[in-house]
Amino acid sequence: MRASLEWLREFVPVSESAGEVAHRLTMLGLEVEAMEQVDGDTVFEINVTPNRPDCLSIVGIARELSAALGLPLDLPEHEVEAETGELDFNIDILDSSLCRRYAGRIVKGLKIGPSPEWLKRRLEKCGVRSINNVVDVTNYVLMELGHPLHAFDLGTVKGRRIQVGTSGNVKGKPEKLRFRTLDGNEQELPGDALLIWDAEDPIAIAGIMGGLETEVSDSTVDIFIESAWFDAVSVRRTSRSTGLKTEASFRFERGTDIKMLKKALDRAAFLMREIAGGTVYGKIDIYPGIYAPVEIRIKCEKINGVLGLELTEEEITGYLERLGFVVEKANGYLNITPPAYRVDVQGGFDIIEEVARSYGYERIPAVLPTAVIGIETQDIPQKLFSGALLKELKESFLKSGFTEVINYSFMGEQDLDFLGFDADDERRRIVRIKNPLRAEDAFMRTTLVPGLIGNIVYNVSHDNRSFRLCESSRVFLSKEGNSLPEERNHFAALLYKEKKRSLYKDDTQDFFVVKGVIEALFDTLKISGYSFARSSEPFLHPGQSADIMIGGDKIGYVGVLSPVIIDRLDIKAHSPSIVLAELDVDRIRPYSLPVLKYHPLPRYPYSERDTALVIDESLESSDVVALLKSCSSDLIEDVTLFDVYQGKNIPEGKKSIAFSIRYRASDRTLKDEEVDALHDQITGFIIERTKGQIRA
Amino acid sequence: MMIEDLKQKFLNELKSVAGPADLFQLRINYLGKKGHVTTALKALSSAAPGDRPLLGKKINDVKQFIEAELDAKEAVLKNEALRKQLSAGFIDITLPGKYSAIGNEHPINKVLFEIVDVFVRMGFSVEEGPEVEHDYYNFEALNFPKDHPARDMQDTFFVSDDIVLRTHTSPVQVRGMEKRKPPVRFIAPGKVYRCDADVTHSPMFHQVEGLMVDKDITFSNLKGILEAFLRQIFGPDTPVRFRPSFFPFTEPSAEIDIGCILCSGAGCRVCKNSGWLEIMGAGMVNPAVFKYVGYDPEVYSGFAFGMGIERIAMLKYSVDDIRLFYENDVRFLRQF
Repeated sequence: MRASLEWLREFVPVSESAGEVAHRLTMLGLEVEAMEQVDGDTVFEINVTPNRPDCLSIVGIARELSAALGLPLDLPEHEVEAETGELDFNIDILDSSLCRRYAGRIVKGLKIGPSPEWLKRRLEKCGVRSINNVVDVTNYVLMELGHPLHAFDLGTVKGRRIQVGTSGNVKGKPEKLRFRTLDGNEQELPGDALLIWDAEDPIAIAGIMGGLETEVSDSTVDIFIESAWFDAVSVRRTSRSTGLKTEASFRFERGTDIKMLKKALDRAAFLMREIAGGTVYGKIDIYPGIYAPVEIRIKCEKINGVLGLELTEEEITGYLERLGFVVEKANGYLNITPPAYRVDVQGGFDIIEEVARSYGYERIPAVLPTAVIGIETQDIPQKLFSGALLKELKESFLKSGFTEVINYSFMGEQDLDFLGFDADDERRRIVRIKNPLRAEDAFMRTTLVPGLIGNIVYNVSHDNRSFRLCESSRVFLSKEGNSLPEERNHFAALLYKEKKRSLYKDDTQDFFVVKGVIEALFDTLKISGYSFARSSEPFLHPGQSADIMIGGDKIGYVGVLSPVIIDRLDIKAHSPSIVLAELDVDRIRPYSLPVLKYHPLPRYPYSERDTALVIDESLESSDVVALLKSCSSDLIEDVTLFDVYQGKNIPEGKKSIAFSIRYRASDRTLKDEEVDALHDQITGFIIERTKGQIRA
Repeated sequence: MMIEDLKQKFLNELKSVAGPADLFQLRINYLGKKGHVTTALKALSSAAPGDRPLLGKKINDVKQFIEAELDAKEAVLKNEALRKQLSAGFIDITLPGKYSAIGNEHPINKVLFEIVDVFVRMGFSVEEGPEVEHDYYNFEALNFPKDHPARDMQDTFFVSDDIVLRTHTSPVQVRGMEKRKPPVRFIAPGKVYRCDADVTHSPMFHQVEGLMVDKDITFSNLKGILEAFLRQIFGPDTPVRFRPSFFPFTEPSAEIDIGCILCSGAGCRVCKNSGWLEIMGAGMVNPAVFKYVGYDPEVYSGFAFGMGIERIAMLKYSVDDIRLFYENDVRFLRQF
């Protein structure tokens, strides 16, 4: 809402500077967002909150200033004496719940032309374009008093009749209508839209916009001025479904002052006669929905109790009366009637807010509460538990050089196709957004991968050629029979590296770098029963990817991004090494951070024996380790792989695998002969099972 | 050979010792079982008994002299060897270390956890709620009726007519209260969504919501808690201002400003010359909300507050474009 200081001063004698007025308005809840100097006047850009339609006018803002500054409010009175009697003209309200009051006047013999300069200037300061004197007057009254008016060209209104109703009211059953509004566009109107009709056709969308055919034009001589009360919800629904937003609809959907509409009508008729000449005819005022004032009962102690103040009854009454409220004292209660324009004041808490505003938020002391400790602690162990897991996860990766990113929760069809998910992949259980900003962002993400892939493309195109990223976020999986999707906490990591000359040699394959971070993490979380199995994720390299399993559940994967996908990324990079991992945190949770128990430290020394075997290259090292661990001996403490080799001296199709077994007994020092015998037995078993042989 | 000659001979031979092996041999030649000194001592028995004491002493003196000389030489050789070994082991200590960088937490999460920490220290617990939410929790139970203009304050992403992407963290207030009886004291951090995108608006952003409900909680307490919080985050001398505003789920409602941290209140582009920065919204819980969750508004009162993390992070780090947070350029992220 734009308000000119000069115009405000017409109603309230403020002597304060523009800056001071702006501060007062802001502290009243009418935030001045900007000030503009126009022709020696100051125009305030005021952010009026949706609960205060009464402040969407110069008079409304003047009223607030008058109460706050203790200054008199001087409102214009314009009782227009009709120059002649009522005409033969009928108004029918067909639905009095949607239109509780409809008033109008006829003005005949007007001379349409440009408005006088003073009027144009005031409108321009409020951001309203001048059209002609008649239309400008309706807009002027809208800005001044806050009540929307509409002027029809009387000559185009058929049948000397106005009907207010929906298509259902007029035609017997609701039907969609096509209607040309005065902006020249044809609108499709919903069946429940409240319309203004003449004897035959709709001529305006009630409270939103008039029709092109009945618009006041240069050739108009006689007009009908409408001033009415329309139901806020109805206006809002029609405004939303047609997409038409006007100064009028903005006010009607917030709630208008049913008492003010008569005053606005008279003010408009008065100004029209002044500016455009013509004869004003008697008023028609159909008022089936008589205003019933709200009555609110509240105790002063309640007001003081909520605010933390100790105001007297007189102080409270004084504040409310200055705002135009009627206050009666009865049996320790205050009975309060707000003025009709305060449509927002409905209950005790609205009264408390008015008292707080009047007293001044700044003056209310800041006091820390005396809080009770107790109940809230009930769920804290659970919270700490869940928080600790996410924290450990993130910290493990941060420590290993992964920088945290936050990507949007959106993805699109293109991402599902790009990653090549099967039709029955759970990541196709998408949640679709009806009104996305872009078609590519129409889904809630079911995996964190598209975001990380986007990060690769962005960073490489900005010449960042070595980075480790991680993200902790939710994914969303629609769930049959549930209105809300399943929201799962995921954690994903990405390693991107291009070949680069380096001072120090490190030839660890990047797959094992990321896998190592995950293993270290599991160690921190005291998760023991995990394993890695060949993965079939469609976007990973089939030979360099693994599903991460705990207790038979797949809790994530780690792998090298498939060369096919890298190729399609279309980045200018030379054979980059890209490793991705994604973990389902909620699936890890049940296995993590078990109750810890101390294990006694060993009291006797260990013995180690090394063996190298030549086996089929198709055998995985984990198979060999699993076989070793399956040997049922209490004396095996640990198995370590220390070399895997293919090449010279090893036959084609074979590989050499070397491991070390550590033996220890908990109750004695093992004798060499005992260890040798056990080790021979174990290697014998392994050779038999792997069909391998001892490497010479 | 005269014992004096033996000493001289030893000294000559000692001069030509080049390394530990020569020294070892020299030690054997003189002090070994068949060495010159040992031989001379053995020959003592054949000397005249009267000469023996004197001769014996002479030989012993020479023996001690040789031992001392050999030990001294040995020490010199060891030192030399050590010096050689050390000088061979010199490296260029000015070469850069093998650097393994630690990753950086995202600036938004950094600020978010800082805020959460302040409230946790004040005894608030942490509550979570879904990001894809029922219209009921996001709007209705927060006193935003259907077809009410207050809904225009938040451009909403819809999944269906009744399911939305939450536009604020406030639905967690309702869910949190449904789960427990007063006293209630929790915060709810998380992601929220609005269909809007420009330099200061992101379709996804973060908020922290807070709620405290008990008997006798006042507006004065709301000011107390939030002033304490803001001074922890922005410094103990930060000016804080409460002014009336509107949220359907609180009444009285307040918007909270802090003195502009860039111009210290003098007026600048960021604070639009007002000297103040809007930082959060708050208010006393509207009794309509209590009715939805079954709390008696005659018995209980409380306050709620909420803030946008991006805005606070932008002010804290002087970031002028919200999109930087979501481009995830590593050159940007590594600055935090």
